[in-house]
Amino acid sequence: MIRSGSHSVGQTGRTGRTRPVGARRRSRAGYLFVGGYVVLLVLVGIAPAGYALELAFTSVGGRFTGFTNFINTYHDFRFLPAFEHIAEFMAIWLTALVVIVIGVSLVIHTLSPRVSATFRFLFYLPAAFAGSAGVLVWLFMLQPGLSPWDVVLRALGYRTLGASLIPSNLPIVFALIAFWTGAGAWILVIHGALTNIPRDVLEAAEMDGAGPLQTALRVKLPLIKKWVMYMLIVSFAGGTQLFAEPELFSQATHGILVSNAWSPNQLATSLAFLSDNFNYAAAISIDLLVIALVCAGLLVFRTRLLRED
Amino acid sequence: MASTERLANQRWRTPSRLAVWAMLAVIGVFFVVPIVWLLLKPFDVGQTFTWLGNSVLYSGAGVLVAVVLGIPAGYGIATTEFVGRRPLLIGTMIAMLIPSNALALPLFLGANAFHLLDSPLAVILPYGLFPFGVYIAYLFYDTPRVHVLLAAARVDGCTEWQAFRRVVLPLSAPIIGLIVVLDFIASWTNYFLPWVMYGVFDTSGRYPLSLGIAQQLMPGSTSGDFYQNIQLQLAMPPSAEALLLLLSAAPVILVLLVAQRWIVSGRLQGVFN
Repeated sequence: MIRSGSHSVGQTGRTGRTRPVGARRRSRAGYLFVGGYVVLLVLVGIAPAGYALELAFTSVGGRFTGFTNFINTYHDFRFLPAFEHIAEFMAIWLTALVVIVIGVSLVIHTLSPRVSATFRFLFYLPAAFAGSAGVLVWLFMLQPGLSPWDVVLRALGYRTLGASLIPSNLPIVFALIAFWTGAGAWILVIHGALTNIPRDVLEAAEMDGAGPLQTALRVKLPLIKKWVMYMLIVSFAGGTQLFAEPELFSQATHGILVSNAWSPNQLATSLAFLSDNFNYAAAISIDLLVIALVCAGLLVFRTRLLRED
Repeated sequence: MASTERLANQRWRTPSRLAVWAMLAVIGVFFVVPIVWLLLKPFDVGQTFTWLGNSVLYSGAGVLVAVVLGIPAGYGIATTEFVGRRPLLIGTMIAMLIPSNALALPLFLGANAFHLLDSPLAVILPYGLFPFGVYIAYLFYDTPRVHVLLAAARVDGCTEWQAFRRVVLPLSAPIIGLIVVLDFIASWTNYFLPWVMYGVFDTSGRYPLSLGIAQQLMPGSTSGDFYQNIQLQLAMPPSAEALLLLLSAAPVILVLLVAQRWIVSGRLQGVFN
C-alpha cells in the first residue's frame, strides 16, 4: 500500500530547503486548504476521543487507575449480555445483508437500466426513515390490530405488542429495522461494483456458454468479493453501535420489554446518566471505539479497497 | 477513476433545477402547511415546528460546514504537497470508517466539560465533520483532468486560491451535491448524538425532529404491566403519528428525488475506486 504518496512526502520533507519557490507556495496553500477541516477533525474527533480515553483510565477524582474501569465495567452483570445481544443481532443482520443484498443486486443487474434504477430507488427509500422514525414505523408494524402485517402476526400467534417483542424476538426485530432502513444503500454500492465489471469479461462468459445464473455465481460474485467484505466490516462496526432501536423500545415499555442496557451503547449511557459514572461510560465507549478502529484499520491497511495516492 | 471523470464531465444545469425546486417547495409549503396544521392542531403544533426548525438548523448548518471545510480539504490533499499530507489522508479514511455513533458519548463528555451541552453547536460541529466527504472530494479532484487544468492556471499566473476559486470550483457542483445529500441524510436522521446532548426530555427546547417524534414513545405510550399484556398506546392517534413520521421523512425523500441522478443511478460507484 505504501506507494508513490509516502515517497513524495518523504522527499518534500528532506529537500524542504531547496524546493523551488512554486512548490513552497503550493505547500503553504496546502495548509490553508486543509486547515479548517483539520481544526474541526481535532475539535470534534480526536479531542473527544482523547478525553474519553483519559476518563476511561482515571477515577472520578482524576487519579490514574489503569484498567480498573474496564475491569469493573466488564464485571457489570449487564456487560456480557449486552454484547451477546449485539452478537445475536449481527449474526442475523449480517447474514441477511450478504444473502439478500447480493442476491437482489445480482438479479436487478440483469434487468433493464430503467427498471433496475426504479427498484434501487424503492429499496433505498426507507433510508429516509433511518433512526427514530424507523423504530416508530416498526412499532406500528409489530402491534397486532394496527399493523398491515396483522395476518402474519396472528398466524405467528401474537395478539399483543408485548407478544411480538418477546426477548428472543428482539435481535430479529432490530435486524429487520436495520435491514429495512440500511440494505438499500448497500444494494446501491454492490450494484455499483457490478456495473464496474468490464463488459468484455461478461461477454466472454456468455461466449463460453455460461447462463445468467452461472455468470452471476461464477463470474460476477468473485469479482465483487471485496465489496462484500467492505459491506460486512462497515456493517459490523456500525452494528456494535446499536442504540436508537433498543433505547426507544425500552422507553416505550418502561424497560419491561427491553432493558435500558440491552446494547453496549445503552449500557454506557445508563452508566453516564443514571449512575453518574462518566469514567465507566467512557471505558465502554472506548471498548466500542477500539472495535470500530480495528475494523477501519482492517479496511484501510489490509484490503486494497480504498484508493490512496 | 473513469466514473469520477464521468461525474466531472456531466453538464451541470442544476442552478435552474434548484430554482425550480425551490419555487415548488415554497408553493408546496403554502399548500401543505395549513393542512398539516389542522391535522396536528390537537397535538401541540408549536412543538412540532420547533423540532422541525431545530432539525433544519442543525442539518443545514452542519452540511454548510461540511462543504465549506470539506471541499477545500479534499482539494488540498489532491493537488498540493505538504508535510503530513499522507497521514492526513490515512487519518481521514480511518475517520470516515468509524461509525458516527462511536463518537457520540465522547462528544457528550467533551461538551459537558466545556459547558456546551445546551448549545446548537454541540451537534452542528459534529455534523460538519464529514471525513467521507473529504475523501470523495479528494478522489474527485485527484484526476488528470483537474491536474492539467491546474497546471495551465498556474502557468497563466493564477495564485493557488485563484486557481481553486476560478478554475476548479465551477466544476465542483457534482461533488458538492453529493456531499450535501450524504451529510444531510446522515445528520437529519441522527438520533444518538442529539439524544446525549439534549437529554431524555426536551427541557431545553433544542430537540430536533428525530428526537421529537420519539417523544411519542415516552413512558405511557404502552399499557400493560406484564410484558405479554403490553399494547401500544400513543398520545396521538396513529394517523397523526404517521403524518408526523412522514413529515420527518419528507425532506430526505425530497433530497433523494432531486439527487437521484447522483445516488440512484449508481454514481456512488465513482466514490469507490
